[in-house]
Amino acid sequence: MSRRARLGLFACAGPALAVVLVLGFRGLPAFGHYHGVYGLVVNGVELSLRHATDMVTALNFDLRAFDTLGEEFILFAAVTGVALLLRELRDESQRGSAADDGAHSFSGASDGLRGASLLLVPLIVALGVYIVLHGALTPGGGFQGGLVLAAGPLAALLAGRYLALKRLAPHAALEVLDALGAAAYALLGLGGLVFASIYVKNFLPLGIPGHLLSGGFMALNSIAVGLEVTGAFLLTWTEFLDQALLIRRRSERS
Amino acid sequence: MPHVSALPIVTPFVAATALVAIRPLARHWLDDLIAVAVAAAVIALCAVLLYRSGSQPVTYWMGGWRPSHGVTIGISLSIDPLGAGLAAFSAVLVLAALIYSLRYFDAAGGLYHALVLLFGGAMAGFCLTGDLFNLVVFFELMGTVAYALTAHRIEERAPIQGAINFAVTNSIAGYAMFIGVALLYARTGALNMAQIGAALDAHRADPLVVVAMAVLFAGFLTKAAAVPLHFWLADAHAVAPTPVCVLFSGVMIELGVYAVARLYWVMFAGPMHPHLIALRAILVAIGVTTALTGAVMCFLQRHVKRLLAFSSISHVGVFICGLGLLGHRALAGVAVYVIGHGLTKAALFLCAGVLLHRFATIDEFELHGRGRELRAVGIAFALGGVLLAGAPPFTLFAGKSLIEAAASGSGYGWLIAVFTVVSALTAGAVLRVAGRVFLGWGPASGPDPQQARAARERVDELRDAREHTPRTMVAVPVALLAAAIAVALIPGAVPAIERAAARFTDHGAYAAWVLRGAGVHWPAIAPSHVSFDDVLYGLLSSGGALALAALALFGAPLRASLPGSLRAGLATAVAGLRGLHSGHVGDYVAWWTAGASALGAVCLLALG
Repeated sequence: MSRRARLGLFACAGPALAVVLVLGFRGLPAFGHYHGVYGLVVNGVELSLRHATDMVTALNFDLRAFDTLGEEFILFAAVTGVALLLRELRDESQRGSAADDGAHSFSGASDGLRGASLLLVPLIVALGVYIVLHGALTPGGGFQGGLVLAAGPLAALLAGRYLALKRLAPHAALEVLDALGAAAYALLGLGGLVFASIYVKNFLPLGIPGHLLSGGFMALNSIAVGLEVTGAFLLTWTEFLDQALLIRRRSERS
Repeated sequence: MPHVSALPIVTPFVAATALVAIRPLARHWLDDLIAVAVAAAVIALCAVLLYRSGSQPVTYWMGGWRPSHGVTIGISLSIDPLGAGLAAFSAVLVLAALIYSLRYFDAAGGLYHALVLLFGGAMAGFCLTGDLFNLVVFFELMGTVAYALTAHRIEERAPIQGAINFAVTNSIAGYAMFIGVALLYARTGALNMAQIGAALDAHRADPLVVVAMAVLFAGFLTKAAAVPLHFWLADAHAVAPTPVCVLFSGVMIELGVYAVARLYWVMFAGPMHPHLIALRAILVAIGVTTALTGAVMCFLQRHVKRLLAFSSISHVGVFICGLGLLGHRALAGVAVYVIGHGLTKAALFLCAGVLLHRFATIDEFELHGRGRELRAVGIAFALGGVLLAGAPPFTLFAGKSLIEAAASGSGYGWLIAVFTVVSALTAGAVLRVAGRVFLGWGPASGPDPQQARAARERVDELRDAREHTPRTMVAVPVALLAAAIAVALIPGAVPAIERAAARFTDHGAYAAWVLRGAGVHWPAIAPSHVSFDDVLYGLLSSGGALALAALALFGAPLRASLPGSLRAGLATAVAGLRGLHSGHVGDYVAWWTAGASALGAVCLLALG
């Protein structure tokens, strides 16, 4: 279709779809009028039966842990897909000589930025670990904490130490971390099948509500997700950074 | 043995992580071994579930969270024979694709195996889950894997474009589904499909319910490639690795139809009951449009994988018609047809893969006569065409007969004519290719020579020298065709599928066994019998396919004798239809919006 025809079609269809949706949305309960009992039931059962105090984590890692399995593997599949698609170009970059190492750093970073970034690395990692471990108690958990954890090593990149980052977390190790995190989550579910005869059923002691070791296997689920998210994001970022630096190096050569 | 319920999903997931974790070892044989062994194990697990659910359906509450005070709080797998059977069928195709891949190409060090296993696990989850949100999660997982697999030949432009078109349109479909889920959750406070259905039973179909149904159907019909939500399919199939096309065409798009059927009978059958006739008309209209558009486009292609892709769209149209009749007998027909079509189409794609492997092109005219040396593949390809035509008494014929009998019974007898045309066109195209490629019949050059370039592939990732075709690459399609012939001939197979469909469509009983764990006593179903008329229609479509193939190969003088104005008119119509399939993702999104808004508007007007 010509650009004109395409825009014309969308100019008719878009508003029509909006009208259809709005007609449906008018049947929604008024703002602030929630009548469902699901939230009440969740609050009741998760505190009394699982000793969890953060209901979002309880939903993600216990009540709807099976959804989280699917979501974990969406992330895992996305990262595996990225690795599959960038395989060719990565092989080319590995064939490059070591003399190109200088290209792997940002030249514009000032000493102040480098120093501050290096200082940030341990702080960010500590924050990430805290958020992963306290998921069952306060807002947080493996997804959020894992992302923070992945941001830690990334600060080393800001410090102009991309190669140091690559040495600290080599590609193969990240791939294994990503796979182990995903596997650990699926295997914790199998622990439920083996020890409590149902998949993703809690099989660990519940602890005292509010204590760090409470909520049964939620804490372990959260750690597994944290590992996977850390590995997945670091892997994706380094894949793309490799591409970007590689392309820059090529254009500089030519 | 309900304990194995989660394993068809979890086992391939764990195996996929293992395949990624052992990549540093770089052992190809180990990757192959793990992938094939796990795929075979999943078939066995699904078979257990199928056998078990045949006597009594299984509800498996994840984490042991059973409904409390009538409120579902956890996620259930709700396993009935039709869902378990579809999961088993998808596992069979996963195994076939993996075995074929062994010698087909260098599979990127285990990543390809891992993604195919994830795909299999996601399809099993999609078939078995009883939770609406969980269904959408598995839809997303299937999509994520499929986009990456489509773009496998990343060094070329076409695979990237195909994957992007696929990803953009299907992500929009995903958003539509989430809107539907949110609307239903706001209304019912539930995500379990059975509970949503039970809650909706109490209400009439108001705009919220109708819009929720329309956007959910639009979303899943995008996956099913219903016209005009279908544009992504041919682009993706033309460029995806051939074994992956087997999964796309053989079962993934059919899962879109399955989801619409599941949502209708579990959730919407209650409020839609007074509007049955209108809903039937809407779905049949979508089905007929899809079937005819796909069939015409199929016949126009010279890129063989694109041709097979449009043939799949056309057959999806037939599935939607059968589903749209909204009766258990027609649904049974669809299920039988899905099995026959999936096996046959898989075999045809794999035969096309042999050609691509050997000659590095998949263009019908460039391959003219070159297939003579591949006699077994040629016979298999032609046989696939005959099966696709619905020749009696094979599986596709058995399925089509059931749908046609149900159509006549609900006042849609004219659908038989549509199905005959569709079968003749799609099978005729396959037979035409068989004649030209494997026998050297007909002219060696055709219209649109620029298409030939798109049909060539860089083949240096193929594993073996191309002077000979590995035996597995011939054995797999032959085995699939043998199954396509055999399934409907197994005594008791078709009646068992009819019973499964009757249970699938029992709205009240589903809620009872899922929510209350009630034992169900199913009424006996009298099996259908093939009538003389059915055989006649089967012979008619087969004859039509042969005639169309002959006309395309040898009919040049006949075509030249048509009056000039008629030829010009036909050429304009054909060019217009082709022009719509532009490969421009903006066009596709515009058409998607038009299709979804039309579906929503018609549903609001007719069902409100």
